[in-house]
Amino acid sequence: MSSTSRSQSRVSFASLTPNNLGTVRKLNSVLFPIKYSEKFYQDVLLPEVEDFCKLVYFNDVPVGTICCRFETAGETTKLYLMTMGVLAPYRSRGLGSKSLEHVITAALTHTKPKIDSIYLHVQVSNAAAKGFYERHGFKEVAVHENYYKKLVPHDAWILERSLADHTEENK
Amino acid sequence: MPPSGIPAKRALPPKESSLFKEVLNLYESKQLKKGLKTADLILKKYPEHGETLCMKGLILTHMGRREEGLELVKKGVRLDLTSHICWHVFGLIQKGEKNYEEALKSYTQALRFDKENLNILRDAAHLQTQLRHFDGLVETRHTLLRLRPNLRQNWIGLAVAYHLNGNLTETKKVVEHYERTLKNVPDYDVEHSEVLLYHVRVLEELGELAEALNLLDVNAKSRAIIDRTAIMEYRARILSKMKNVEDAEHTWQALIQQNPDNYDYFKGYFSNQGLDLFQVTEETRDKALQILREFSTQLPRAAAPRRLALGVATGDEFKQLAEAYLISALEKGIPSLFTDIKALYKEPSKQESIQGIVESHRERLSSPSPPSPSSESEPPTTYLWTLYFLAQHYSFIGQHINSLALLETALKHTPTLPELFMFRARVLKRLGDPFGAARCMDEARLLDLQDRFLNTKVGKYRLRAGMEEEAQEVLGLFTKKDASSPGADLEDMQSLLFLTEDASCHHRNGNLGMALKRYHSVQKVFNEVEDDQYDFHGYSLRRFTINVYLEMIPWADRLRSHVAYVQSAIAASQIYVRLHDDPSIATKSSADNLTDAEKKAKKKAKKAAQKVQEEAKKGHPQTSATEDKGLEPGPAKDDDPDGSKLLKSTDPLDRAWKFLSPLAILELDDVEAWIAIYDVAVRRKKFLQAVRALNRVHSLDPENSELHVRLVHLRHIVLSLPQPPPEPIGPVLAEALDKLLSPEVSLETYNSQYLQQHSTSARSILASAKVLHLLGATPAEEIDNTIFNIFNPEVQVDIEAALDVVAFLRSIRSARVGEFRAACDKKFELSTVFKAPAELISLRRKAIATIEDVEKANGEKTEVVT
Repeated sequence: MSSTSRSQSRVSFASLTPNNLGTVRKLNSVLFPIKYSEKFYQDVLLPEVEDFCKLVYFNDVPVGTICCRFETAGETTKLYLMTMGVLAPYRSRGLGSKSLEHVITAALTHTKPKIDSIYLHVQVSNAAAKGFYERHGFKEVAVHENYYKKLVPHDAWILERSLADHTEENK
Repeated sequence: MPPSGIPAKRALPPKESSLFKEVLNLYESKQLKKGLKTADLILKKYPEHGETLCMKGLILTHMGRREEGLELVKKGVRLDLTSHICWHVFGLIQKGEKNYEEALKSYTQALRFDKENLNILRDAAHLQTQLRHFDGLVETRHTLLRLRPNLRQNWIGLAVAYHLNGNLTETKKVVEHYERTLKNVPDYDVEHSEVLLYHVRVLEELGELAEALNLLDVNAKSRAIIDRTAIMEYRARILSKMKNVEDAEHTWQALIQQNPDNYDYFKGYFSNQGLDLFQVTEETRDKALQILREFSTQLPRAAAPRRLALGVATGDEFKQLAEAYLISALEKGIPSLFTDIKALYKEPSKQESIQGIVESHRERLSSPSPPSPSSESEPPTTYLWTLYFLAQHYSFIGQHINSLALLETALKHTPTLPELFMFRARVLKRLGDPFGAARCMDEARLLDLQDRFLNTKVGKYRLRAGMEEEAQEVLGLFTKKDASSPGADLEDMQSLLFLTEDASCHHRNGNLGMALKRYHSVQKVFNEVEDDQYDFHGYSLRRFTINVYLEMIPWADRLRSHVAYVQSAIAASQIYVRLHDDPSIATKSSADNLTDAEKKAKKKAKKAAQKVQEEAKKGHPQTSATEDKGLEPGPAKDDDPDGSKLLKSTDPLDRAWKFLSPLAILELDDVEAWIAIYDVAVRRKKFLQAVRALNRVHSLDPENSELHVRLVHLRHIVLSLPQPPPEPIGPVLAEALDKLLSPEVSLETYNSQYLQQHSTSARSILASAKVLHLLGATPAEEIDNTIFNIFNPEVQVDIEAALDVVAFLRSIRSARVGEFRAACDKKFELSTVFKAPAELISLRRKAIATIEDVEKANGEKTEVVT
């Protein structure tokens, strides 16, 4: 894979802090057609999600983010992938895969609480994204109608990967 | 001391005499309260006993009752003028106040009455070193050595004294004598190693190279000298001096192998071969390149030989080497690449080549990428750093618009790299938009709030935009929280960056009092640094760190050639000169010129100062736990929080001279400094000093526009003197001035000739207008007309010069200031510095970035997640 690359390209992750939140805002503003609330930015700093909210660095330049939150209902805890994105010039270099795997690995070893599955929304027009998540073991479980208020199309797929049964894990 | 020699008034009966000894002991062991009580017991019976009074005064000073203590000491000295104790105490107090000159006098008195007192001798030696009285120092060190020849440091003390006094032959003798007295030196003794290295150095400086080398080799072999790097450096240097080219080459080579990024080693290697690495000629170029190429092969990871080769090579050879160097650095993503390379721009052909190389690299990278972009292709960061480099390149050569466009492209590519915002800020600053610059720097800061460098930059850029309060706010994010204000903490930390920038911010804002206050703080910092060397006069000899110590002394001698001091001294003297010329500024500056923000800041400063004083009061009872407060006065109360007292000082010229006199002594090659020296000297009626300063400017830059103004000024002053200065000053002055400015031409003609000769230079136009104003015969409209020639198309004018013109027009109350400003505003399209005052207020408000700015990147958002 990247072993033959002629320049050493380094990918690394950094935890979110109040100090680098400006970089996250900047990335979100160019990556997504969505304005995130202040609550979003408060939540990604919570200590319990530290392993699941990261800045992605390429050769020491921050070029992407991945942010998740916990959703607990009764006995089950799910990890909801809120945002994941990489700046356009840095795509197709495996950064997205590395970021997602980073979060999945962290989720698999997480104990308090134990995480049952990871899920996310993808706009139904975005087949490429769907394909990407399916390659990482996600499956379409439902369609959320009118998920987006203003974006067209309004519907979103719900993609989920179960973590409870480790045999399902395909790497 | 034999009792018979004691004067009657000093003699005490046995009981009191033993009490007095107790006082001395109690003082030595810092039992101050007990000491005070005991002294009082003696004074009850013998209130006129000088030595007891002095001791009591000394103890009181230590307890923080300084004024009372000083009174007693003075009284004590007066009552017993022949007591070494009294003079010693007086000297100690003066030394504590850093009054070294007077302290040394007291010590000299003390030594007259007790010639062999070791403590006094040692202190006197330190004072003599601090004051650079090297003759006296040699004598004192001699006495010390005679009294205690078994103390090693006394030998070194004498050797160093001779060295400082320029007598290396004696130094050598003393060191040799000292080495002969040594017995049983332990292995790996650092102090002995230092002495031996010092010995080698002395021999080297004496030109006894063979002896130096022999001493070095013998002691390196026996491991008596343990600093391996120093051994090699000394060796290489001495061998080169001995013209032992071959051995020297090996040693230089070994040094380079050890640290391939030290330019000095390369320099040494080349000069050993008769080549000057930084002044290559056509004959030596090929050979030099050849050597550097070999080093590059030998040391594949070292940057130095490659970078040095760029300085040496020319033409195609340069292109080839530069391409490899630049491309590799861009791929690695080295942010400082441009800073590293820009020294080469002195040669236009190299500048051109570099532009070509990086431009074609950009073209290659920006062309449509290969069908499947993958990790095999060039990483996008290379393209990013290429854009960044080019932006710096174009701004450096004055193509700022081009630079901004490149930054725009880069920010679209990667909007998260703070360097891009920082550099955009810099370009805006260069274009005369300090507000946009401050805001842009702030945008960089918001990306990474924990970056102290970015934080400092924002503070500095806000100060440049005149936003004093906002600057302190942002700097306060990194200062001590319990300080009375961020500024106060930065002053305590001796931050020259803050003090100088804050001063010039106040200066530009017209708040001259605060500007002076900050410039005085800069002066204080340098005084403190100078005082700080005092402790080393003792320490370095005690610990045998002689070699660095001998480098520190000349460094301290040139301390005030530091750019922060030079600029502060010049600026402060300019304010004092203005105050001297027009004392009414003092009252105007403090009240009328203040904007609302400044008034608020002033109130804040007052409050902060109050807080400090309250805390100081509160602090008193707590600190009594340690009753000894030392001999140095504590931090002085700030009784002039806004500098208004400085503005009203009655001796502005003397104060200005205090700032400038170190510059005159250092003989700097600095036109501005000499002009400032002239301005103060001529007003103090020191005409020879004045004309000498102009002579210095003339030798540095004969066509200098400010020199033109000063020459006319001096002639004008001399002509208007009621009678010429007395011999010998008068004739010397006349002769010197005539040489600079022919007496046969009228000043008016001289001025118009100057203008004709320099009609395309904005500064020269300004200078000739200044002269017209100075001579006083020209109507105001004509002066204005002269100034407006600046807008002739063939005139070269930059923003700095235009701002100086605005200041000049304001100072002569020209009716056309507004017109000139508006014309500049138009001429310098992206600038904001020429906007009307009302507009500046709203510009300030926009100069602070917010979260919204960070997020606004992509226009309106359709979806809002809550």
